[in-house]
Amino acid sequence: MAVPPSYYLLLSAALFCIGVAGVLTRRNALLFLMSIELMLNAANVNFVYFSQFWGNVTGQTFSLFVIALAAAEVAIGIGIILVLYRNFDGVDVTEATTMRW
Amino acid sequence: MTSRPRSKIGSHLLPGLAAVALFAVITAAVLTSSFGSTQGFPADANIVASVGRAMFGIPGADVTGESFLVAFILIALALDAALDGSLLLAKREEDGSTVTLLADGGRRLFGRDDADEEGED
Amino acid sequence: MAAFDFAPLIVLLPFTSFFVAVAAAIWRPNILPKGGALPGIAATAGSLLVSLWVAVEVLGGGRTAETVYVWSTGVGDAPELVFSLLLDPLSALMLLIVSLVATLVHVFSLGYMNDEDETGLPRYYAGLGLFTASMLGFVVAGNLLMAFIFFELVGLCSYLLIGFWFREAGPPSAAKKAFLVTRFGDYFFLVGVAGVFATFGSAAFAGPESFPAVAEAALTGEASVRTFGFGTQTWFSVLGFLILGGVVGKSAQYPLHTWLPDAMEGPTPVSALIHAATMVAAGVYLIARIYGFYALLPTVLAAIALVGGFTALFAATMGLVKREIKQVLAYSTISQYGYMMLGLGAGGYVAATFHLMTHAFFKALLFLGAGSVIIAMHHNEDMWDMGGLRKRMPVTYVTFLAGSLALAGIVPFAGFWSKDEVLYEALVHGLGGSPILLAAYGMGLVAVLFTGFYTFRMVLLTFHGDPRTELARNPHGVGWNVKAPLVVLGVLATTAGFLNMVPVHELLGFPPEYLHDWLAHDGGRSAFAGLTSEHYGELLHDWAGYSTVELSAILPGLVSLGLALLGAGGAYALYAGDDPEEHTEKLGAAKTVLYNNYYQDEYQVWLTDSVVKPLSRTMDTFDQGVVDGTVNTVSSVSLFSGRRLRRIQTGVVSNYAVLLTLGLTALVLVVGVLGGWFA
Repeated sequence: MAVPPSYYLLLSAALFCIGVAGVLTRRNALLFLMSIELMLNAANVNFVYFSQFWGNVTGQTFSLFVIALAAAEVAIGIGIILVLYRNFDGVDVTEATTMRW
Repeated sequence: MTSRPRSKIGSHLLPGLAAVALFAVITAAVLTSSFGSTQGFPADANIVASVGRAMFGIPGADVTGESFLVAFILIALALDAALDGSLLLAKREEDGSTVTLLADGGRRLFGRDDADEEGED
Repeated sequence: MAAFDFAPLIVLLPFTSFFVAVAAAIWRPNILPKGGALPGIAATAGSLLVSLWVAVEVLGGGRTAETVYVWSTGVGDAPELVFSLLLDPLSALMLLIVSLVATLVHVFSLGYMNDEDETGLPRYYAGLGLFTASMLGFVVAGNLLMAFIFFELVGLCSYLLIGFWFREAGPPSAAKKAFLVTRFGDYFFLVGVAGVFATFGSAAFAGPESFPAVAEAALTGEASVRTFGFGTQTWFSVLGFLILGGVVGKSAQYPLHTWLPDAMEGPTPVSALIHAATMVAAGVYLIARIYGFYALLPTVLAAIALVGGFTALFAATMGLVKREIKQVLAYSTISQYGYMMLGLGAGGYVAATFHLMTHAFFKALLFLGAGSVIIAMHHNEDMWDMGGLRKRMPVTYVTFLAGSLALAGIVPFAGFWSKDEVLYEALVHGLGGSPILLAAYGMGLVAVLFTGFYTFRMVLLTFHGDPRTELARNPHGVGWNVKAPLVVLGVLATTAGFLNMVPVHELLGFPPEYLHDWLAHDGGRSAFAGLTSEHYGELLHDWAGYSTVELSAILPGLVSLGLALLGAGGAYALYAGDDPEEHTEKLGAAKTVLYNNYYQDEYQVWLTDSVVKPLSRTMDTFDQGVVDGTVNTVSSVSLFSGRRLRRIQTGVVSNYAVLLTLGLTALVLVVGVLGGWFA
């Protein structure tokens, strides 16, 4: 008994929207990074499911790259958070408003 | 005492409604769409070996896929660059002054301030 | 053709002296002996020699019209813009005149400027060099645009030189006036140049492609030109009048003559150069240069003749009452150029050229003579402070007298022959069916009387009688560098008229009319046939309807001679004694009007104040209110909206994320609705 495609997609959409909600409501930069990780993984769910859907391993392979990119993103993100901490004495993203107009 | 994230209910959660709205429209889109049948993989196919072959562009996989050799190299470079970048960002100056990166838009350098922007509101 | 290969040197030599003087003035002010006079003299003398060589070549039938430099090739059928040389009898003659007068003026400047210990001499000689170079460039110009460029350079140099003593009050203002008034005329000239290009696609003076030739072909219907909806003849007349605007400004014809008397504020050698050979001559020369075009246009010719005749009379009356010697000469210049215009308008191309030549000599002579007197009088120019200089300055007196006799038109001095020929041409063409020329002739004839009067009033007041002031009793001596140019010009002013003695030729059959022969033939080169006085005669007959009556040149000559003698005699009767009275006082109101130049300056100022200024103010209001208003509104709208819109850049990353999310939601919604969710 195969699971209908829309279930996978709804799972993915739910993951993504949880990530978005995290970005929208949190002020801690570290939580931002985690939320972004959620969104990336929502994409991975889609990749893997559509790999199965088409009977082709391209999606699965690509999801591996996404994971690698996520690692790179986290490395940079942590660096940015460190700078943020030094410049603004904290990791609250709403404090860092010096680049407005 | 360690601080841990706590759930707080308040107006700061209001932007989260945007995420809920997004979920609603995506759900609507998914539910109104129709999909074909899932093709799936052959039962005896060696999936992991196929992924490995696709990644390096080696022919002879059980399940076909595109060659990701160039992407692989690029990702390797990107990871390397990210590592260097994070080290650069994290590095502290010898004399204890703040890091090399100026994230204040140069205001501390040039003594600019928002003074000329007041009075506009 | 060797001489023609060196012809560019005529222009380049004075130009080089200009650069030498400028370089010296900037880097080593004292390096040049005599403040830069010597390079100038050498350069102009070199130009004179090359000009002589060219003249000899032209006499042997040589002609050339060659392109020296193409500075815009033009795209598509746009005309090519070039610097070109045109060497024919007219330009060769003018080259001789200009380079000779310029050389003499340079020599004279040694006496007038160097010996008087003036400062800023390198600037002075730089100006003279550029002035000479510009005029020579104008003379050899082979097309209208190049002529215009050098025409403007001449105007610029006159500005620089009239305002030479810029620390005093008068000269800078006079320089500005000269510049602006001539610029007003040049504005029309510029439009005319553009019009010529637009109409004919070429502004060359010589050859079958030249615009006078094309204009003639267009009138016979052999060529088609753009006339912008006007009749061919009408449109050509419009162009002719536009170019005439520049001529009227430069040659100081009514109503743009007002700058010239003020230009007397400049150093006297500069006045000599301006009046005899360069600036003022440029206008008349331009008409002579494109006479093949004007000869097609009877309306313009009549206007030229009338303006010339009127200016001749008008300026002569103002010269009657002036106190300053240079002012008298200034008005005589305006008057004499009026004669040249009269000659050109009346179809007397050769006569006008002849008068241009003789006038160059005798007016340069008179100005240099006046300069000599002014040196002697320690720069006092008032004739009523002079008197009795005859005995103390014999060389100046004799040469000045020769120049005055020429100016007054007393036989056998140069001015008699040329002025007489101008008037004769006006008379025969007037009687031959163009009665409007008779009016111009009449004015010219009356002006002869006044000319004789004011000339001899000037001579008598300056040189005769008893010295009226201590200055005149003990005049400052003048050196060889003043006397030598005077003698050269004195000889020329006496003898130049023998080149073209029409009445004598008629009476005796000899000597030949050299100038007529010089200008009449194309030297066997058909490309230059359109530039000969023979051709102009045909054009005048065919297009302007000028025909001549058989009339002896002797009787009109005697009439004008009689009038000149009458004027001179009148002056003698009034001012001859040892202690002449100021008879001008008896003229009463007429004297005031004349002394104030018919209130022409006041009239022009009034015109500016009451017409131009309100108009400008209206335009300014329009500009400030409507044009700037529109621009300001646009800018303030964008400034205001920018100030509001930038608020969304809060710098808070969460807000950006909200916007992104809402944007994505909206996008999905739109795609969904378009995809038929609610359909």
